[in-house]
Amino acid sequence: MKCEACAKREAAVAYTHIVDDIKKTIFLCPVCAEEKNIDPPAQPQAEAEDVPKLVKEVKAELTNLVEAEEVGGVSCAACGMGYDEFKKVGRLGCSDCYEAFAPQLERLLKRIHGADRHQGKGPVAARAEQPPAPVAQPQATDQLDQLRDELAKAVSTEAFEEAAQLRDRIRDLEGEQRG
Amino acid sequence: MNLRYLVDNAALWLSGEDDAEGMVVSCRARLARNLSSSPFAPKATLDDQEQIIDQVLVAAQQSRQLGNAAFFKMNTLQDNERRLLVERHLISPALAESKGQRGVLFNPDESLSVMINEEDHLRLQAILPGLQTAQAWQQVDALDDDLGGGLDYAHSDQWGFLTACPTNTGTGLRVSVLIHLPALVLTEDMERVMRGLTQMTFTVRGFYGEGTNAVGNLFQVSNQSTMGVPEGEIVDKLAEVTRQIMAHEKEAQAALLKEAPAQVEDKVWRAYGLLAHARVLSSQEFMNLLSAVRLGRSLGLVGRISSGFINQLMIVTQPSHLRAEAGTDLSPEERDVRRADLVRRRLAELGAA
Repeated sequence: MKCEACAKREAAVAYTHIVDDIKKTIFLCPVCAEEKNIDPPAQPQAEAEDVPKLVKEVKAELTNLVEAEEVGGVSCAACGMGYDEFKKVGRLGCSDCYEAFAPQLERLLKRIHGADRHQGKGPVAARAEQPPAPVAQPQATDQLDQLRDELAKAVSTEAFEEAAQLRDRIRDLEGEQRG
Repeated sequence: MNLRYLVDNAALWLSGEDDAEGMVVSCRARLARNLSSSPFAPKATLDDQEQIIDQVLVAAQQSRQLGNAAFFKMNTLQDNERRLLVERHLISPALAESKGQRGVLFNPDESLSVMINEEDHLRLQAILPGLQTAQAWQQVDALDDDLGGGLDYAHSDQWGFLTACPTNTGTGLRVSVLIHLPALVLTEDMERVMRGLTQMTFTVRGFYGEGTNAVGNLFQVSNQSTMGVPEGEIVDKLAEVTRQIMAHEKEAQAALLKEAPAQVEDKVWRAYGLLAHARVLSSQEFMNLLSAVRLGRSLGLVGRISSGFINQLMIVTQPSHLRAEAGTDLSPEERDVRRADLVRRRLAELGAA
């Protein structure tokens, strides 16, 4: 294929650009590409760099989400208690710590009590004020759990694009819950 | 001294009612609760603590159960007064020893109390005589509803009530019995019983002192886990476990009586004799003698001594009670003399009556 700009040299670079929501791809020779400030080898190289970077990011995210107990870097935004500090004093700093350290606490509670789900009475104030149980929160939490599982799977099979999407959805959902 | 009146107060839990053949002294149910808007103990400032106290007091004023309760701030009490409250099971040693803004509310018969700013913002307690675990739970449950109506408790749908320590998360319920097991200790079967209990997620520990060397053969049995099982079931299970332990103790008592009736009776009456006539009694010696007399009461050997009398004596002979009655600091030696005096006097009154 000839270059679409000069129509002389052999095209070597596919240049895709979007103008007014219309995607256009033109094929250029290296010389014309350089004139247009398009660095031909840049694209594949960037991709090659991106993959390990993404792996790193996703793994870091996973570590945060699932394995922070070993890493110990998480802290509660509300009271400032770090997970390391909690492990030292054995007492949580506020009710928000339960959210901040949720994955770790889930395992800890299971170890202590042999269960990670409360059965029994709830607060009397909540019983009086909200007759229908709030459904949004548990659903979102379930969905989060599911997404985290999928993320772990995606990373283990090295499906990084999918992993990145999952990571973004987890962030969005977590943002919604906090907001 | 503010709290001197407590020394002569007849706390309901010492009455000896429902004592299960003299074996069960008392039972209690406590709930751990926190306010969702305030930091937990490790992160609470003095201002936070002050606000928590204010909120709890407002809620308590509107409560039926605590309408006529007494309130004391820890930092307005002397060391001895705080220890007096510990000896009466109204506060924990941790509350007595820690600094900051902390307090306690309790009703006139001392069956209901609320510690404020202990490990959790609120620790609600119902304590009753004998094996009345279901009633203790009912009372603390009602108090919780009553106070909780005016307070915003930290709670999650998945994990229930959120507590400072994850060992209390969920129901926040710890239910326990104080049980006297002299024959199991004597026959050295206590360790076997304790092992069996731990497997059933209940713990048993010496009430005074540690492990199987419990002073006065008094043990506390309580639930270990607080999540995943509804309150009513935890309470029922504890009562069931307690009855199993009692059956073991009864068996051991019967075996002792069968093998060495004269020696058992002798042990009981020697203890009685020492209590009635000794001039110096250390705390440990007193507790062991009292245990022998309690055993005599279980076996029907010392008819005129009631469980209530024994329980009351056990409390008024403790160091801070003796100091409060004396109205002045006492050396350990002086305390042992006063203890012996008090016990002699009480037993003489009993004989005269």
